[in-house]
Amino acid sequence: MVLKKAFLASILTLAIGASAAGAVSAASATKASETQAASAVYVVNGSTANISTIEENGIALAALREIAPKLGAKLQIADGGVRAKLNNRVVVMKIGSDAIQVDGAEQKLQVPVRSIKGVTYVELKTFVEALGGQFEKNEQGTTWIDSNLLADVDHIQWVDDSRFIASQETDSGRKDYLVDALTGHSERLRIPEGASELVAAPDGTKAAFTNANGEVFVLDFKAIRPYQASKDTSIKPELVWSADSSSIYFLQGDKGSVIAKLEPETGKIAKILEDKVDYKANLNVSSDGLTFTYTVTKPGVVVADASKPVDADDVAIDMKGTEPQIYQFTVDPGAKENKAVQLTSSSDDKVFVRAAADGSSVSYVSVGTDEAARSTLVTVGKDKKTVTLYNDKDVYDAVQSAGKWYVLTEGADGGLFVYEVDPVTSAAKQLYELNDTVTEIFAKDGAPFAIMDDGRVFVDSNGQWKPVTRK
Amino acid sequence: MKWFKSLSVAALSIALVATSVSAAGAASSLKGKIVINGSSALLPLTLQASNEFKKLHPKVKISASAAGSITGPQSVRKGIADIGAVDWDASQDVPGFKKFEGQVAHQVAVIPFAAVANSNVKVDGLSTKQLQDIFSGKVTNWKDVGGDDADIIVVNRAFGSGTRVNFQMKALQGTEFLSKGSNYKEVKSSGDMKTAVETTPNAIGYIDLVYVTNKMKALKINNVAPTEANVINGTYKVWGYGYYMTKGKPDGATKAFIEYVQSAKFQNGSLKKLKFIPISAMK
Repeated sequence: MVLKKAFLASILTLAIGASAAGAVSAASATKASETQAASAVYVVNGSTANISTIEENGIALAALREIAPKLGAKLQIADGGVRAKLNNRVVVMKIGSDAIQVDGAEQKLQVPVRSIKGVTYVELKTFVEALGGQFEKNEQGTTWIDSNLLADVDHIQWVDDSRFIASQETDSGRKDYLVDALTGHSERLRIPEGASELVAAPDGTKAAFTNANGEVFVLDFKAIRPYQASKDTSIKPELVWSADSSSIYFLQGDKGSVIAKLEPETGKIAKILEDKVDYKANLNVSSDGLTFTYTVTKPGVVVADASKPVDADDVAIDMKGTEPQIYQFTVDPGAKENKAVQLTSSSDDKVFVRAAADGSSVSYVSVGTDEAARSTLVTVGKDKKTVTLYNDKDVYDAVQSAGKWYVLTEGADGGLFVYEVDPVTSAAKQLYELNDTVTEIFAKDGAPFAIMDDGRVFVDSNGQWKPVTRK
Repeated sequence: MKWFKSLSVAALSIALVATSVSAAGAASSLKGKIVINGSSALLPLTLQASNEFKKLHPKVKISASAAGSITGPQSVRKGIADIGAVDWDASQDVPGFKKFEGQVAHQVAVIPFAAVANSNVKVDGLSTKQLQDIFSGKVTNWKDVGGDDADIIVVNRAFGSGTRVNFQMKALQGTEFLSKGSNYKEVKSSGDMKTAVETTPNAIGYIDLVYVTNKMKALKINNVAPTEANVINGTYKVWGYGYYMTKGKPDGATKAFIEYVQSAKFQNGSLKKLKFIPISAMK
């Protein structure tokens, strides 16, 4: 998940390995037969692959019989040459030709297709891309070659330590896939049109959603289709799984006023809190299912005299006290009048609110009223005292995983940093330095750290950013 | 391109190879303050969008309030709100309200409405003519429209309500409401309308479809049931667009927020969850 010292060594090794493989003489076309066949290290669909390559005029050519199967492409002798097919792409190559056919259209090569000791070599990058794959070499010398990557992914959510749900937002609706982070292989999830976003259960085996009527469904990833967990059609703005993945808590009503619990096995719904307080959001449930943490946002107060003519614009708005505040409610059947407790009353904005698993404290990013001031990571306890956890740099995004906070902050020279913050000791450790095109970070206990950079998702793969989606 | 940097042994920093250089700063550092006021029907939508928007742009402050649609464009005109939420296009004239000059209308949702009656009413549906006659006071007894012999109690929304404007335009084709009498009630919000219709025998009113409960009867209009599907297929006509009004073209955080509410992600996601209809469904 996070980087360890050992990875530094592995990165250097990788860099050294790659440069050694590339150290063949840049031979001209007429001397191609004299160039040496050497092995280079590439990562193809998540697996490190030793592919025989030769270099000519500075271009790497790969052994077709090695690269094609690793991409998942089928090879056939046809049309006087070799035909490679992957998904719906067909590439035809002829030995000695300086062009290939891609779905019938001619594409020029910089170096002709070669045959050396009976092995056919073709420009590696061109071949991969002609088959619709991605080819990316990073500065550490690793070349990522992928033929399975999903395009245009807008959001991901880790399901377990190697898979995530990827969502594509299109004009006609959202499409969700279960993606293997290592190979990039994705499987479309069968959910009805108009379904809400999927909420993955902590045990990594299923996800919940509501359909257009508000009815709750559960999709077991091994099943073909989801099953209906409840016939209740009330509006459910938020669904939250219990820690043991057996129940689903939810906010109920268009104003999220009620907190309720659904048992998917029986469809039974029980109300946990119905206190007529509207606009609850950001529901967190403790592991024991007894402490509920959420924000309440009060709408502003408007005074308007309807008897005055419209042109008089007789309206005044008081937005005092409309900042979200954090509340906590603990189920206590023994208590006579059990009310939610307001933990905060400050005028800062509170984003990314997460309660500790036992509900003993709540952390959030505090955005002060002064626009020039930094956003900070703060924690508040049941005693209502707030403690600053991190305030070194402006915080833009924050996620929690395995009890630690990961914050995306303002970086150096217009870039960004990621820090790991320990909520107990407030110790902050810088983990990554990123470009300012990174918009989101994703972390889950056991899974690699992931980022969304310029519309693409990358995961930390042994200290390097491996692309897991494409543009 | 950022180069590989190494920090202390205890911490590692890995550079990301940039595939493109961004000219602007990170999206998450967008700043601003947005005040939104107006329609009570749109308030849950606004607050839900605001909650989500802040996770993408935590430095943007958004506060929202509602006191009826007309107060939306009024507060924009007065300069005390950046966005006026309103259940009609306030850049156009509608029954009772002249257009607000210079304000730009941004469609954000499709809001279906239903004519509703107390559950004791035996009538299942009414024609446009019957609705016009009832709400104008011409017809005062349920027996005249196929029900029991009982006085019709008309429950109306107060002047300024967007729900009222839409019902008058779409269900009553512009017919004037009656405005007084012992069988006439006026309420200030959809919550009050719901309570009035649920608890008053022989009452008739109208409400956003999302607030219809099983303690009241949603009436067919011209034999068409008030359902989302019928709004989308064009057979049920009593619906309107929800709008965000701005003084001229919006920019900065206000522009970004409106774009978020209009985005496919929000329209097909949370907006549908709140039982509004996406604007794209009507095109």
